[in-house]
Amino acid sequence: MKRETAPDSKGIALASVLSNRPIRSNFWKLLLKLDAKGSRLFSKAIPGQFAEFDVSSVSVPPQEVIPENLRDQASRTILLRRPFSFSDISITYSIEGTYVTLEIIYRVLGPATIRMTSLKTNDVISILGPLGNGFWYPEPMKHALLVTGGMGAPPILHLASFLKRQYSSVETVAFVGARSLDFLPFEVKIGNKTGLALEEFECLNIPVCLATDDGSAGRKGFITELLEEWLRTHTPPVKQTVIYACGPEAMLAACADIAQRYQIHCQVSMERMMACGIGICQSCAVQIRTLNPDQSPLYRLCCKDGPVFDSQTVIFGENR
Amino acid sequence: MDRPSESSVCLSVSFAGLTLSNPVFLASGTSGYADELGEFMNLDTIGGLITKSITLLPRPGNSTPRIVETDAGMLNAIGLANIGVEVFIQEKVPILESLQTTVFVNVAGQSISEYLAVIDRLAPLKAIDGFELNISCPNVKEGGITFGTDPAQVEQITRQAKKSSGSKPLMVKLTPSVTDIAVTARAAIEGGADALSLVNTFTAMVIDIESRKPVLANRTGGLSGPAIKPIAVYLVHKVYTEAARPAGIPLLGMGGIRTASDAVEFLLAGASAVAVGTATFVQPDAAARILAGLETYCREHHISHISELTGGLQ
Repeated sequence: MKRETAPDSKGIALASVLSNRPIRSNFWKLLLKLDAKGSRLFSKAIPGQFAEFDVSSVSVPPQEVIPENLRDQASRTILLRRPFSFSDISITYSIEGTYVTLEIIYRVLGPATIRMTSLKTNDVISILGPLGNGFWYPEPMKHALLVTGGMGAPPILHLASFLKRQYSSVETVAFVGARSLDFLPFEVKIGNKTGLALEEFECLNIPVCLATDDGSAGRKGFITELLEEWLRTHTPPVKQTVIYACGPEAMLAACADIAQRYQIHCQVSMERMMACGIGICQSCAVQIRTLNPDQSPLYRLCCKDGPVFDSQTVIFGENR
Repeated sequence: MDRPSESSVCLSVSFAGLTLSNPVFLASGTSGYADELGEFMNLDTIGGLITKSITLLPRPGNSTPRIVETDAGMLNAIGLANIGVEVFIQEKVPILESLQTTVFVNVAGQSISEYLAVIDRLAPLKAIDGFELNISCPNVKEGGITFGTDPAQVEQITRQAKKSSGSKPLMVKLTPSVTDIAVTARAAIEGGADALSLVNTFTAMVIDIESRKPVLANRTGGLSGPAIKPIAVYLVHKVYTEAARPAGIPLLGMGGIRTASDAVEFLLAGASAVAVGTATFVQPDAAARILAGLETYCREHHISHISELTGGLQ
């Protein structure tokens, strides 16, 4: 099983805003055009990698336009960069030269993302990356099961389009879960025959199984229940099937459990509070299984050794 | 007409018997073991590098969350996660050997004998120029800050560590979490410290008001970043006037430095050199930028030797 290693070349680059708009509820989509250095660095970035954004100098929007429940947060100052994965990376070839565009989906949640909503076209921010290890592709792979919960969607979307381009013979199914309809970070079309469609997957021709905790979109329940149901009914060849998951840690743990029971290879993209993103601060520790249970805990760094891990190596639930 | 030539600035400083190419260090715990920041700047242009804490045996570190951001700062409770002295020698020392810059190893332990064992193991190695004694880590249950808050223990551990470090300079890192930092500073000097570094982080807490629990798994952590800078400047000045200057011992000043002007403040307060810490997390080449800014400051203020700034407070 081959694993892509992190590219040697990471660095600080400038990114100018092409567009920044709300997609639905409090999710926004940001398109960034990278400078020459950034384009060189990110042209080889793969799904599951991420970048650290410096938005400390981005202005806070006027109090009136900030949702009331976030106004208290909005006045906080920002020191550290914020990690974001990409929902897409594309390369544009033009007469002015080649440049890379990053697409980011973010949820307005705290002081950094509140500021990000005020980014306007041509504004410039500093980004550091590409960072970490992305998803990898065990051979032979015939079925890719993409599982996402809530804000875990962006790297899974990136992976979906990557698989369609690079591994077009792989049969891909998306399992999309969220707390409720409001927590789906997608361009959602409501009212067609199937009831509800996620455009991002629809345009890639990837079938979607949808579940929300409260039943406001798709099936009521956890997305991992749908995953297991699908595995039971479709019985794909386990050695040629891969589960790719990104979302809340409880969901990742459930995926790992299913993968183990069905003997399917599973990769999980983990999330941790992170300061530097380059392996020096040691804050984003992920606990790893050891052969000897008496041994003291073994940690790997989410930023440098992850964020994507083989699910069978991770001890879940350590992060509160 | 001839234009006056740009005055050159001598950035070199002497520090605890060493000659540094400039007074900017990378602070311990924010610059990895050796090579991690090499992708972002030429480490040989930096005056010195202080490795993250090395203990006798590997330490896994604390549970997560290990950090949380605060206004103009951050709390960390990493718990001295490190690879241990033997792996450090095998894997990192060869990289340090290839660097021209001055290298201090930050040493931590749970007992005096552990500190000594680490220094004994490393002192003969050519790649290592000196030691920083971490007796001020707020995030471990044993050792660390428990040594650093008791002047008698500070003196004792310094005296023994100095025997182990031999001809290589021993710098003692002080905690600000004491009633009078000048007392601990004098204790370290009495014990034979060649230099003092200050300040380590301030013990602090952030509470999640929904769960009513501390955010950090360790409950408390060390506050660093711009939020602590004015306090750190004050404490450097206090130690300089009350302990270091009378004894002729140099200070490495740190605490929230992120710009060249921050660094100048520390030098004026009495530091002979400065260390860049948390700023590196945001800007991996922060130290190089600060160094460039220091040179500009000196040129604009017609300072020919940067060491003239030390203790220059009026």
